[in-house]
Amino acid sequence: MKTSPPTAPPPPDSAGAARPRGRAARAASWYTVALLISSVMILPILWMFTVALKGPSAVFEVPPKLLPHEFHFKNFIDGPKAIHFPRLLLNSLVITGLSVIGGVMTSMMAGYALARLRFPGRRILFYVFVGSMLLPPVVGIIPLFQLFKDIGWYDTWLPLIVPAWLGGNPLFIFLARQYFLSIPQSIDEAAKVDGAGHLRIFVSVMLPLTRPAWITMSILAFQMSWNDYLNPLIYLYSSQKWPLSVGMASFVSQFAGQTPDWNLYMATNLLYMLPPLAVFFVAQRYFIQGLSALGTVNQR
Amino acid sequence: MTAPPRPQRRKLGSDARAAYVFLAPALIGFTVFVVYPLIRSAYFALTQYNGLSVPKFVGFDNFRRMFTTDPSFWPSVRATLLLVVLYVPLSLAIGLALAVFCNQRMRGVSLLRTLCYLPVVLPVVATITLWKFVFNPQVGLANQVLTWLHLPTSEWLSGSDSAMPSIVIVMLWSVGSTMIIFLAALQAVPTELYEAARLDGAGPRTVFFRITLPLISPIMVLQVVLQMVTALQAFNQPKILSPDGMGGPGFSTRVLMLSIYTNGFPSLGRVAQLGYASAQVWVLFLVIVVLIAATARFSSIWTYSDHVS
Repeated sequence: MKTSPPTAPPPPDSAGAARPRGRAARAASWYTVALLISSVMILPILWMFTVALKGPSAVFEVPPKLLPHEFHFKNFIDGPKAIHFPRLLLNSLVITGLSVIGGVMTSMMAGYALARLRFPGRRILFYVFVGSMLLPPVVGIIPLFQLFKDIGWYDTWLPLIVPAWLGGNPLFIFLARQYFLSIPQSIDEAAKVDGAGHLRIFVSVMLPLTRPAWITMSILAFQMSWNDYLNPLIYLYSSQKWPLSVGMASFVSQFAGQTPDWNLYMATNLLYMLPPLAVFFVAQRYFIQGLSALGTVNQR
Repeated sequence: MTAPPRPQRRKLGSDARAAYVFLAPALIGFTVFVVYPLIRSAYFALTQYNGLSVPKFVGFDNFRRMFTTDPSFWPSVRATLLLVVLYVPLSLAIGLALAVFCNQRMRGVSLLRTLCYLPVVLPVVATITLWKFVFNPQVGLANQVLTWLHLPTSEWLSGSDSAMPSIVIVMLWSVGSTMIIFLAALQAVPTELYEAARLDGAGPRTVFFRITLPLISPIMVLQVVLQMVTALQAFNQPKILSPDGMGGPGFSTRVLMLSIYTNGFPSLGRVAQLGYASAQVWVLFLVIVVLIAATARFSSIWTYSDHVS
């Protein structure tokens, strides 16, 4: 109850003349803070560029120079060579590509059924899927490891791909369902009158209408799979089957006790970052959309 | 096609059949990858099992060993809780502050948002390894910046007191995802409320604490839960950043996930202890459940809801 009585004039009015100057000061402080924030975000990345261009001795100069005296563009060739980059890149692309396709497709199918088809048990199934979003993945890792080992999938890509093809991610099922709910019911009724079956409705009516949903999901799935480190680390023994995440981490620790060639490493790291960066800049608004969806889930 | 138009009941049947076909992959996946492992890991937790021989039922021996004789268990509980205590409040506070800051109408604000979000876009392993070099005590950027600013330098990852805070810094660098979620929540607050408050003469602080914060409190709770689960299951950062890959120096960053990993998936000739690791999984799982339940319960006290009438 400490609110000022309505008779007291609000402070801005008393300083009417000083207002433009106050606004300028506000802008100045805003930009100062903005600059500070951006430098925290961007400085490590810029520094990575300079290290990637340094020669082997320049990396260990004390105190370090911010700019290299000579540019070693060869790092971008020698670094990738050291970890068989082209092969690991191909591995990552295949694993990620297949798990994105499978994960998005089967989640969209499940979302379609949950949102638009009436069948016994649909409410319960929805709650089961939503509930399993809360279940931490750690609970499954040991039995799943044993299971995959028992059926001979250890040291293959199957444990990284097949789960995606079987429903993948409960979050995706949830997002798909929410999106399907927003499409008017009359559309599939019209399609049914025209004699279309469910498969037909799903593929040629629903998928075009839900484009933003599955693009967002594909991007999230791409990011998750490209980032995944624990699963390939557990399931892949042979280094020629590794995706880039495991290869890059081993680059840093491959000479146990010895320091890695940081300049070569940083050059390779930049190449590893390029695909997700490219996806981000092409599809920026979908990235944000995916996360914002999460931010507004609980409201209403 | 001489069949007469189908009655309503048949149509429902065909819907149901289609639904189960569409749901089949997800249902199989749910059974095989969620239900089965859940039951199996509860069983493993009560056995002694090296992954090769038949699991031997030992009752609660694994838990007894964990709580009484394993010298690494309590330090790893401590490391896990330290990570939660440092990371969760900081990520929420910084994420919210950034969101409020990025929610202002300024030229270049969208560039700032993009920059804040950039670390989230980069592959986790790439950013972690980058920070490993940033924290290099001799030639790393971190100590370099501190020297420029005439501040004392740190051992970062190689000091047993500074290792965990360093890991938290690496995790906080990706605070952009939290920021975006808060930003979405802030933008969903109706502007009329702000206008009304301004007319009543409320200052920015009052507006923030009396209007903004209560209205975004459900997202706040969601974030507390999400970040807590993230922190409790952090694996990549401690694994890659610790000098020995096992949560060193000492046990300072040997979080429970890393403990589970070293016991369950051993390398270099050590025997797998799948039963013991499963028991640790269940301890971690119970901690997660208890913390989520406590948050949910606690949050109903301070979460704003508009069902007042």
